[in-house]
Amino acid sequence: MNDNELITTVRQSVADVHTITPVGQIMSRGRAARARRRIPVLTGALGVAAATVLAVTTLLTASHPAASHPASGHDARLAAFAVTRQADGSIQVSMFHQLRDAAELQQLQGTLRADGIPASVTFIGQQNPACQAYRMPPSDQPISRSVRQGGFPNSPLSGVLGSPFQNPVGDAMVIHPAALPRGSGLQIAVMRGIPARPGGPWPYPKGSGHAVVSVGLVNASPQCTGS
Amino acid sequence: LDFAEFYRRSADECLRAVLVSVGDLDTAQDLVDEAFARAWGSWRTVGRHPAPVAWVVRTALNSNISRWRRRRREISVPDPGMLADPPMVGGAADSPIDPRIMAALMRLPARQRQVVALRLILDLDTGRTAEVLGIAPGTVMAHLGRALGALREDLMPERQQEPS
Repeated sequence: MNDNELITTVRQSVADVHTITPVGQIMSRGRAARARRRIPVLTGALGVAAATVLAVTTLLTASHPAASHPASGHDARLAAFAVTRQADGSIQVSMFHQLRDAAELQQLQGTLRADGIPASVTFIGQQNPACQAYRMPPSDQPISRSVRQGGFPNSPLSGVLGSPFQNPVGDAMVIHPAALPRGSGLQIAVMRGIPARPGGPWPYPKGSGHAVVSVGLVNASPQCTGS
Repeated sequence: LDFAEFYRRSADECLRAVLVSVGDLDTAQDLVDEAFARAWGSWRTVGRHPAPVAWVVRTALNSNISRWRRRRREISVPDPGMLADPPMVGGAADSPIDPRIMAALMRLPARQRQVVALRLILDLDTGRTAEVLGIAPGTVMAHLGRALGALREDLMPERQQEPS
């Protein structure tokens, strides 16, 4: 094999690779990035006002520690996400970049469990076979659906999950542990490698017709949800 | 040059060049998308660049290094020498990538892969490749020669086993 043949072989090996991203999506991403770059300027301009608000918030926090301090007392900041217990007892899961490694999922799962949420976190298609769909009488239907913006009408998940929303630092969803039916836990399945971009809608990537995260209720068990 | 037209013409070749360098199609797609988004944001400058495709690929490769550095701080990475996620060698049956050749490319040092990406996939000349990578033209030629030699050996092992 001479150099020309080798070069041709290398070129042909990737010749069938084509981008899947439409130009409109690229431009949207560029606009979002431009908007994010403007935020620090705005933040500086509002610095004094923000400092005032922060001082008030701090005072309120100090006077109501039971309402504002997390029960577990931690704010886990990990590789691709943060799990934060909020004052109302809900758990906010923020995604900072795409989840690609099983280790990241294990960390998320462990953090949720430590915060009292029986949970199984896997990639989509690799769900734990020990998990059994939770069925709530009288419908006797498995309760599982993809996370969509706009909530979960007529489903117990509507109480467990807040509507996905954008927050200033990333993309987040909110879990209300108190709304979990007795004996149930969450099965969270993440599509591997789909970016969860700050500033973009979560858990749907902009312009995509595919769910990135699927959440379902399962029977809580040590083999599935850890407890 | 209109950005949309530039994207239509060059997105595939940029994706292939970055794929050859990082070895994972998902990662390459995300890096290239991000680089094109930045190019769109700075199109007044990038559009006048003598080789906009080189700008995009260099931006994507720099982003990959930054991403790896961030992840290195955040979680332990099994092989710190790798700048990308493990390649999807032998992955999906419908993968458009030849797994044998991609595996051989991934066995090359990172710099040699970058030279292969720019010289062979983007078809940049030696001078432009040297400029993009910030190395001397002679070093580009040396890297390319070594890369081709290693690929030839890797892709034709049966020839090595023949008695001389």
